[in-house]
Amino acid sequence: MKSLVINTEPDSPYYPGVFFNAETGVCEISGESYMEEAYKFYLPLINWIKEFVLNEKRSLELNFKLIYFNTSSSRLILDILDILKKFRDEEHDVKVNWYFDPDDPDVKDEVEDFEIESGMDINLIEMT
Amino acid sequence: MFVNAPNYNNIIAYHGPISLNLTSFVGNYMKESVMADQRVITRIFKVFIELVQNVSNYSAQVNDKLQDEHQKRNGIGWFSIDENETDYKISTGNLISKDHGPILLRNCDQINKMGEEELRELKRQTRKQSSIRDVGAHIGLIHTGLITSNPLDIDISPVDEAHSFFRITAKVNKAINN
Repeated sequence: MKSLVINTEPDSPYYPGVFFNAETGVCEISGESYMEEAYKFYLPLINWIKEFVLNEKRSLELNFKLIYFNTSSSRLILDILDILKKFRDEEHDVKVNWYFDPDDPDVKDEVEDFEIESGMDINLIEMT
Repeated sequence: MFVNAPNYNNIIAYHGPISLNLTSFVGNYMKESVMADQRVITRIFKVFIELVQNVSNYSAQVNDKLQDEHQKRNGIGWFSIDENETDYKISTGNLISKDHGPILLRNCDQINKMGEEELRELKRQTRKQSSIRDVGAHIGLIHTGLITSNPLDIDISPVDEAHSFFRITAKVNKAINN
């Protein structure tokens, strides 16, 4: 299985950077996310996660390092968390870390809402 | 068209088709030009993106004479960012279908009557019910009301038999309480 890599581009800062490492299972989504038709961007990420967990059967760690995401993107992030929660309930080894920007006064509440909605545990870590 | 607000200084205003690149450019321009606590700038950026993307996605007016096929679908409307001593005011305006007016009025009235925990619960319920293929998650106005902790100020004026004009203003306080 190949890693999934999407680099951030200065002329389209509304797409986040993605590095899903197929060798280590450590995955990262970083930057800003407020593109049009968010599902077109996120569906390949969701499919990669499903394939990695179900076919590779190895542990997966997802690190969110988003400094901004709009409400459309939040719907897709919730979908990812729902899927990871389902995998965790099936005894797959999955873990989610959320690196938060201390200059964002609302992010802790947003992550707490994701936890409540999905039932997935999220480790909050301050960005340095 | 633009709201002339006494005692407010204008930071930026625009009227026309609203593309994603324009939204991104102005949002980043605002980040560099506004002199405020970084946490306040973060909130202005969030509110700006949500409200302006609503215009781009849902305005009842587009310009199909533009060359680019994608730009032809960008909604037309206006936005402005203004500041006074105590807050930043982010406003947008766009044409809507007359049928949508009462729905927007009802939604904003509901948001304005709710406290923080009620808004968070409404946001969670509404997001969960939305489809991942929808243009938005239908929580932009709830989220805006939640993070600004101020009532949404809206106005809907009749334009013709089929359309109304929708104007919304959200205020971001300069003082951060949390």
